[in-house]
Amino acid sequence: MRAVPRYLAAAAWVSLAGAAGIGQAPLRAQDTIQGGVRIGITYTPGRRPALAVVRVGAGTAVDSAYAMLLRDLDQSDRFELVRGPVVERGDTTKAAVLIRVAASRAADLLVVVEAKGRRTEAVAYDVARNALLHRAEFADAAAPTGRRGVHAAADAIVAAATGQPGIAATRVLFVRAGRLMRVDADGHSPTATGSAGNPALSPAWAPDGRRIAYTAFVPSGQPIVLQELTSGRRAIVPTTEYGLNITPVYSPDGRRLAFARGTEAGTDIYLSEVNGLAAGVPQRLTVGRFADNLSPAWSPDGSRLAFISTRARTPQLYVMAADGSGQEVLARFDYGATGTTSAPAWSPDGQFIAFHREVGGAPQLFVLDVATRAVRQLTGSGRNEDPSWAPDSRHLVFVSSRTGTRELWVLDLETGRVRPLTSVGGARLPAWSPRLSAGGSPE
Amino acid sequence: MMRRSSILLRAAAGAFTLAACGQTPPPVPATPAVDSAAIRARADSASAAARRDSLAQAARADSIARVRADSIARALEASRADSVRAQVLREGADTLPDTPSGLDSARAALLATPVHFATDRAELSAVAQGELERKLDLFRSYPRLAVQVEGHCDERGPDEYNLALGNRRAAAVRDWLVEHGVAAARLTVMSYGEEHPVDPRSTEEAWARNRRAEFRVTRSAR
Repeated sequence: MRAVPRYLAAAAWVSLAGAAGIGQAPLRAQDTIQGGVRIGITYTPGRRPALAVVRVGAGTAVDSAYAMLLRDLDQSDRFELVRGPVVERGDTTKAAVLIRVAASRAADLLVVVEAKGRRTEAVAYDVARNALLHRAEFADAAAPTGRRGVHAAADAIVAAATGQPGIAATRVLFVRAGRLMRVDADGHSPTATGSAGNPALSPAWAPDGRRIAYTAFVPSGQPIVLQELTSGRRAIVPTTEYGLNITPVYSPDGRRLAFARGTEAGTDIYLSEVNGLAAGVPQRLTVGRFADNLSPAWSPDGSRLAFISTRARTPQLYVMAADGSGQEVLARFDYGATGTTSAPAWSPDGQFIAFHREVGGAPQLFVLDVATRAVRQLTGSGRNEDPSWAPDSRHLVFVSSRTGTRELWVLDLETGRVRPLTSVGGARLPAWSPRLSAGGSPE
Repeated sequence: MMRRSSILLRAAAGAFTLAACGQTPPPVPATPAVDSAAIRARADSASAAARRDSLAQAARADSIARVRADSIARALEASRADSVRAQVLREGADTLPDTPSGLDSARAALLATPVHFATDRAELSAVAQGELERKLDLFRSYPRLAVQVEGHCDERGPDEYNLALGNRRAAAVRDWLVEHGVAAARLTVMSYGEEHPVDPRSTEEAWARNRRAEFRVTRSAR
């Protein structure tokens, strides 16, 4: 388990940090995990800014905030985390820490976490420019609402330092034993959510993070359910009360829902207008003719849908316009040779489509470059399936059985680093949330 | 449409009997703090609402199947006008309740024998068709008998694709029976994908057993 990064244990606590060296090489993100599974992408890391996180003062609140910020910033995969500077007794102010870091040239960026009475303050500096990047203050970080504040601060610090916000204030929905679960992006507190009652599959987020859609199992079939997260109110998309209705996904503007429905002679993709929990009667986009068409994935501009079809026998990746026209093969395949392809997910920046494909009897993650249609394989051994993009378009959450049971893992495509997200046993079908605003993301 | 309506009525009736045990499940709270009084109040008002609606339910169940809304506004109105879709979700289970077959044990066993499929295929093999031939006599001898054909898959394919595959397997069985003279109204189809294996092991033998269509009685033979 890498639940606690190595440097957490050794990280400098300001007034006790006599042994922590500044001259040590930066701690490197690892590109392998236990079991010898290697991510099959070649990556030459560019220089990432060196970041030190230091705390000033003591107490559970500052300890919690420090640990969370360190983890969030590390898991953004945008920094080389370096150990905090040697700070002598008496150097208990931010200014003193900043001066010391600047003098040591140990870090490009410094985050100081400090107790401020009952509250905790986090301040990020650009060390070389001696400039303040971001200041955030939050209540008790150990409380659920406090955690949200710390994650938001981490994302704002990432944005100030790199121009792109982080992904700490997000969540992942998934399925375990037929129930919907959610887990914070840092792996904190997997919790049952939403679907009391009926078994559920295939959760999908509305782009505002306030509603979800999923397939429920009832005795008469599999309806598509829309649900408000705050109130728990649910509604079934009209005409899906009966038969097979699967793989719902919201359009990027949140006003349409695409899903697949079992028909007389196969499975076809349908489109419904949605407004809150209300939905219009679905319109058919594909005509199966004894084929299955399923797992639609929207392009971020809402103009196209990638999807899986069995029209050439083995399930493969296709694309069409959002009105059903212009259907064509998206990922080239060799008839009869290329394995079953499934679970496409279009990256929020539009550049890539992640999916999984059977290789030698086990599913492996792939990404397709939409512009060139070049496909590259991301994983090589174990079962790795059902990818879902983080809002930063560089992290994927996916299901892997590499430790013997199906769990969620997170892969950073830039560094190749992989980390475990859950250890619940039997996690499936993850869906990474959009960025959740502080007020708009219910418990 | 008739078979759908009749099942819908049964689903709605079942949901109504469950309503007293808590009609609208509250969202799972993030903290252990539970306002039991509020939940009780909600359950009380919900069951009162269910009682109030009970007389009109049959009519609503029938009307829902005919709804042809073509806009959000009309669909919203339809969803206000009936609670059937919400009732469907209150069942809590994903299988129909057992219906006595009304058959003697030998014939019941014959009906219950599953039909098996090749890997990633929904076509009926000669063996599978032979199995269906034997069941055909039951449908001819007992014209009241109605079943739900339930398609299942092994664990190997993608989870969601397997739901589509299971649906095609169930549909293949239904279509064969209809082609051989069984009225379509006596046959419904349902897919469980890989969700309900009869053998949870990850072996060729287990996978072969799990690739199947099962027959659940929905109307007794007598």
